Amino acid sequence: MSLVLHPIEKTMIKILRETPNLTPEEIAERSDLSIDQIRRGIEWLRLKNLAVVIESEKSFASLGKNGTLSLDEGLPERKLVQLIENNPVSLDDLRKKLLDEINTAIANAKRNDWIAIQKGESSNMVSLKQKPDQTGEEKLIALIGKNKIPIEHIGDLSALESLKKRPDYIILETIKSKTVSLTDEAKVIDLDAIESGAIDVAADAPVIFAARTHPLKDTINEIRETFVSLGFTEIMGDFAQPSFWNFDALFTPQDHPAREMQDTFYIKGNAAEKFATPSQIRQVSDSHRRGWKYNWNVDAAKKMVLRTHTTCVTIKYLAENKPEEARVFSLGRVFRNEKVSYKHLVEFNQVEGIVVGKNVSLRDLMGIQKEFYKKLGLSKIKFWPTFFPYTEPSLQTMVYNDKLEKWVELFGMGIFRPEVTRPFGITRPVLAWGGGIERIAMLKYGLDDVREFYNNNLGWLRSVPKCQ
Amino acid sequence: MPVVTLYLDRLQRLVGKANKSKILDVLPFLGLDIEEEQKDFVRVEYSPNRPDYATDVGIASGLQGLLGIKKGQVKVSVKKEKKKFLIKTDASVKKIRPFISAVIARNGKLDDESIRQLIALQEDLHFGIGRRRKKASIGIHNLDSVSSPLRYTAVSKDHEFVPLASVQSVTVKEILEKTATGQEYSHLLTDSKVPMILDAKNRTVSFPPIINSALTAVSTGTKNILVEVTGMDKGAVDDSLSVVATTLQNLGFAISDVMIDAKSSSDTFKARTILLDPALVNQILGLDLSVPKICDSLKKCRLDAIPRGKKILCSIPRFRFDILGEMDLVEEIALGHGIENLKPSLPPSISVGEKNNVTKKLDQITSVMIGLGFTEALNSSLTSRQVLYDYTKRDPSEIIEVAESKSLEHTVLRDSILPGLLENLSKNIHESYPQKLFETGVVFTKGHPIDETVTLSCVSAHKDTSFTEIKSILQSLLKTDSGITCKTNATTHPSFASGRTAEVLVGGKPVGIVGEIDSQVIENFKIRVPVSGFEIKLSGLIFD
Repeated sequence: MSLVLHPIEKTMIKILRETPNLTPEEIAERSDLSIDQIRRGIEWLRLKNLAVVIESEKSFASLGKNGTLSLDEGLPERKLVQLIENNPVSLDDLRKKLLDEINTAIANAKRNDWIAIQKGESSNMVSLKQKPDQTGEEKLIALIGKNKIPIEHIGDLSALESLKKRPDYIILETIKSKTVSLTDEAKVIDLDAIESGAIDVAADAPVIFAARTHPLKDTINEIRETFVSLGFTEIMGDFAQPSFWNFDALFTPQDHPAREMQDTFYIKGNAAEKFATPSQIRQVSDSHRRGWKYNWNVDAAKKMVLRTHTTCVTIKYLAENKPEEARVFSLGRVFRNEKVSYKHLVEFNQVEGIVVGKNVSLRDLMGIQKEFYKKLGLSKIKFWPTFFPYTEPSLQTMVYNDKLEKWVELFGMGIFRPEVTRPFGITRPVLAWGGGIERIAMLKYGLDDVREFYNNNLGWLRSVPKCQ
Repeated sequence: MPVVTLYLDRLQRLVGKANKSKILDVLPFLGLDIEEEQKDFVRVEYSPNRPDYATDVGIASGLQGLLGIKKGQVKVSVKKEKKKFLIKTDASVKKIRPFISAVIARNGKLDDESIRQLIALQEDLHFGIGRRRKKASIGIHNLDSVSSPLRYTAVSKDHEFVPLASVQSVTVKEILEKTATGQEYSHLLTDSKVPMILDAKNRTVSFPPIINSALTAVSTGTKNILVEVTGMDKGAVDDSLSVVATTLQNLGFAISDVMIDAKSSSDTFKARTILLDPALVNQILGLDLSVPKICDSLKKCRLDAIPRGKKILCSIPRFRFDILGEMDLVEEIALGHGIENLKPSLPPSISVGEKNNVTKKLDQITSVMIGLGFTEALNSSLTSRQVLYDYTKRDPSEIIEVAESKSLEHTVLRDSILPGLLENLSKNIHESYPQKLFETGVVFTKGHPIDETVTLSCVSAHKDTSFTEIKSILQSLLKTDSGITCKTNATTHPSFASGRTAEVLVGGKPVGIVGEIDSQVIENFKIRVPVSGFEIKLSGLIFD
């Protein structure tokens, strides 16, 4: 740690090196700093572990009203012996001089064995017995004078005790005090070496946040880049689709449970008028009649839905372009009428890629998957059979997740059924695969609640590292 | 996807000649996902197109094939009994629920687990091929409690009987109105009369497609079974019956036919044939399999196959109605050959990939917004009326709603992005300010029939925000992104403060709105600092 000292701190260190264990007031006396500056300096030095503060209690003695009086005039017994220094004086005369103090004076002088009292004619006579020395009490009064004296500076404690018994002579008080001393480190600091322009570079700086793209968007972009790098071109389509492209064109029978409202969002009061060419409609209708043996209804095909998969974009592209060779992908939001939970959203992102070609096979589809996952940093994969309504054969990719230490199901894949492609005049195999992106993003960011992506919680958006 | 619990001891007994770990390894290659694995059992998910996998006997039969223990088709061997069991259909049901078929299964044993699996199988068939009991529904009865001939007829809703799991006689009307099953399926019975199966003694056997009679309840003591299927679709009725009959035979029952009027139900179980071209198989799988190898792979999937000229004649049992054509057989061959034996390859490609133009433009404008200090938010397109219109004081007359959403927060398609960003601010009032958010995305308006436009919206929330700040952001964004200059003309908008709101014009054409957010709107969202923002259309401005 680089050390930076304020001029206040430097001054205080110098003073405390000369005299350890000083109170703040004492430091102030020895410097040209105010007591507030000293107090601030003490706190700074303590935080830097350069000073220690010891709190202690001290008792002080000072003179009360009578004590102060006797500092100037002497104690009553001293006044008495001064009056009788040359000749004995009658008690009556002394009373006139000493007034209220007469009793105290007589009592103390007698106890000190300074005076003798003899019966006289009209009044008792007081005479000096011996020339009195200065008493302990008098010495103590002189020592205290007009100051506050720490008790430990008083040697004659019996004098203190006797003065304490006399009214208003001694005031005792306890004062809490702090004394400051330097730590060993502070004792050896080279004060001259500390440059005055330096700042504390180890100190905390205020926290600011970088503006950034959304973490889910980062994953989406990464996947999009992966497709592009594998030679795929991006296609796009509407979110709101006629049922024809979302279901009928994909050979989903009109009474299939997936088409019911509990799974699909139908847009209220909206039906598509022109949604496909008459020949496309006729061919699809025939395919359903032949394959599923029911009467296909054009009105059901007109109903507008929020697309349940990006496959509707793919099939529309195939129907419109009838490519002999193609590598395209579509990526975007899809919708499912589900209860929102930690693992289900009503709206999420899906990506789907297709390869059309003369001699493409299921093994090629598996090879592209392997390449795709390798680019995402996932090298341990295997394939299991599965079922999708519009592909045959169908497989799913299982990816080994090192964090979870288990196989996780990721994208599904398959070859479009002839019942799907033939009505649109596509005779070559169409390899297709895809899946949800949030799933991959959850693995990437270690989330166990998919809703976090759409909470826009600034605490998370500002703190989650871009590189995972 | 439905799930079935497989007890490993039981499954191993059914499969024979294979240890448990081998069985567990092979399960996924039948297309069964292992959901949960315990010491004594596993729970696997099966696809709805294979209802025979609702039972362990069905799965055991598939495993035997892949493990090579038993190959080829499982045929339902129908015994034609001398004294036929009869069902007579009355003309009255023709209009209500016209089709019925049935079989008898004799001399079997049922335990609790088998009964549970049969019920699960029945429910799968009801849901899938039965289309929620409309096309087909199944009744499984104790044969010994009914007397032939049965009558399939239409009766009035006053007809009374004791339904399954009950002791009291009730009317059809009560069943339809008061029971959960009755309420769920009463829409299938629109006629004043309902279908009913009665026996020779005029006792009620079943009230399809709702409930069986208590009289014919099946238990672990049941030895002989009657299965009847009724429905609106003959194909679905026969398909369903074939799955149940195959399953009962796998459970050890002997299957006999039933005479439906003058016709034996044994015809139902005839196998179909499909002529398969080996060239297609090898093209699709990218392999070079010989005809015998292809036949062997099909047999491992419990189908029959014999060479016929250059092609292969495949025989498919009735219950495999998931097989529609040649391509489905290609998949069976892939499974029989072993997915693990397919080596991934890469097709040669010289294609160059490219992002969509809209994506490229959005990437650019996003990077400019980041440069201006705004953090990207993502909100759902489906939102609530409250956020979109009520809190923002916007006019809801052009609202686009979806039908029957399961989530109250997702009922309306957004026609603007800004309300979502304000909601984001309202949920972040304890985070440090300034808070600056933006989002690009699709908004929806009524058109032909729905028009989709991409817009960009942003908000700046902190104590010193102002019209001037947000206009600076807007003009810098347009200038930096595409060299566009914009003008701002005073206007009013329910979400923005009056006198501090402007229409954004590019080349004289309105493209959006900019200003300070109205204080009432800020209060509605319980935001504690001033907010300014804008929303501009990107479609038509920076891309088509």
